[in-house]
Amino acid sequence: MRLLVRLINTAGQFIMLPVALVLWELAVRVFAVAPDKLPAPSTILSTMWAGRVALANAVGVTLYETVLGLACGTLVGILSGIAFSRFRMLERMFLPYFVASQAVPIIAFGAIIIMWFGNGVASKALIALYLSFFPIAVNTLAGIRTVSEGEIDLLRSFGAGAQAILLKLQLPAAMPSIFTAIRLGASLALVGAIVGEWFGASQGLGVVLLTAMYDNRVPQLWAGIILTGLTGVALFAIVAMLQSRIVWWQAEV
Amino acid sequence: MATSKIRARNISKHYHVGARTIHTLDNVNLDVGTGEFVTLVGPSGCGKSTLFNILVGLVAPEKDGELFIDGHPQALDHLLGSVAFMPQRDMLMPWRTVLSNATLGAEIDGVPRRVARERALASLDRFGLRGFEAHYPGQLSGGMRQRVALMRTFMFDRDTMLLDEPFGALDALTRALMQRWLLELWETNKRTVLFITHDIDEAIYLGDRVLVMSARPGSIKFEAKVPLRHPRSPDVVTQPEFVALKRQLLAVIEDESLKAFAALNQPAAAGRTAI
Repeated sequence: MRLLVRLINTAGQFIMLPVALVLWELAVRVFAVAPDKLPAPSTILSTMWAGRVALANAVGVTLYETVLGLACGTLVGILSGIAFSRFRMLERMFLPYFVASQAVPIIAFGAIIIMWFGNGVASKALIALYLSFFPIAVNTLAGIRTVSEGEIDLLRSFGAGAQAILLKLQLPAAMPSIFTAIRLGASLALVGAIVGEWFGASQGLGVVLLTAMYDNRVPQLWAGIILTGLTGVALFAIVAMLQSRIVWWQAEV
Repeated sequence: MATSKIRARNISKHYHVGARTIHTLDNVNLDVGTGEFVTLVGPSGCGKSTLFNILVGLVAPEKDGELFIDGHPQALDHLLGSVAFMPQRDMLMPWRTVLSNATLGAEIDGVPRRVARERALASLDRFGLRGFEAHYPGQLSGGMRQRVALMRTFMFDRDTMLLDEPFGALDALTRALMQRWLLELWETNKRTVLFITHDIDEAIYLGDRVLVMSARPGSIKFEAKVPLRHPRSPDVVTQPEFVALKRQLLAVIEDESLKAFAALNQPAAAGRTAI
């Protein structure tokens, strides 16, 4: 009985999507909705198929920018989190500015970034970095601070110096919260890459979305939306999988 | 007694909290002979753990304190790493296996990982952990976790071990088993042990000598040799010598506990009379 309930629950998750798609398709056909208002899923799919090479390339470019930006953001975030935990002074000097910088919407200075760093990968990765590093820095700091005085004392009693305490205790202990932040950062980095593409790029999902909008090609626009969504979900899933592999000892929600 | 393994003289410690000065330790004098198992009991809050932190080198005492190890004077701010210390909580790292938790101290001490692992593997039986070397702390019972912590302390190879209420959190049955097992381990290894507990039975059963600390500010108020031969069987607790010593210790400790309790409740009591 319980198994059956679980089966239905699991099946329920997977069945929702096809059901929604079928309803969508039927609604568009029955009510004869104009394709420039809402195209049917079948129309979107055939558009995607027709433009598959260009779209795949766009996904590849945006994914590359996002991952590059996220990787750099993770590195910068972890390093600044460590620096803050080591030197209270640095935290007091820089953290308020980090917080303030996050309050300035990226839209406000996206144009400057493109002017300075060109309309290639670098500017997008930079914006992705800018958006993703902050939660990672804050969570690294918070994770390091979860280590108790007693645990540090135990390592000191073995003669451990600051470096051993960091590498053997503080960083591993901070890993669960760092990963939680990377998961958040992955979504932010994707937004950063696409916003960067809006300000100036020749390829990528942002370009697909923007040109479809200008040319009023609605199915193309929907294709872009769906691919962007899938890219976001895939990134999130990959980070979540890495998280459960690497920091398995702490089940994070 | 020949030269003591540990000889502490005039160890005092006070903290400043705002304008108030709290005296935690007051002129503690302590000798632990080489290979001796000394237990330390006292009311809670008497500064036992502070004394340990000082002996481990985590906290510096007041300037006039002196410490000798094997008769050699020690710089009190350079003690870290000279004794093996086991804190109250096991503090195992959840991301490390039993084996690599056990080798943590040795690893930090600079023992090559491979050597440390081999030594640990060879000791698994002694610590009752054979077959569990690849388990993680989250998969172990309280008693096993404590054995891993104790193994970590042993693997950090020092003549002297300071154990701070290692069995305090265990249930009575596990605790009794662990005491027997620790005694056997000690009888075969003969390390110098200083062991904090708040359990008088445990103090007598394990110790060659029992020290009683006074209420805060803590000092050594009473000491007694335990007139029981090794190896000790668990039913030693019913022997008249055991019972007599227990009675004696209970009287001293109750006295100190009452003092500690009174000190603790003073402000509250004053508040109550006001109502």
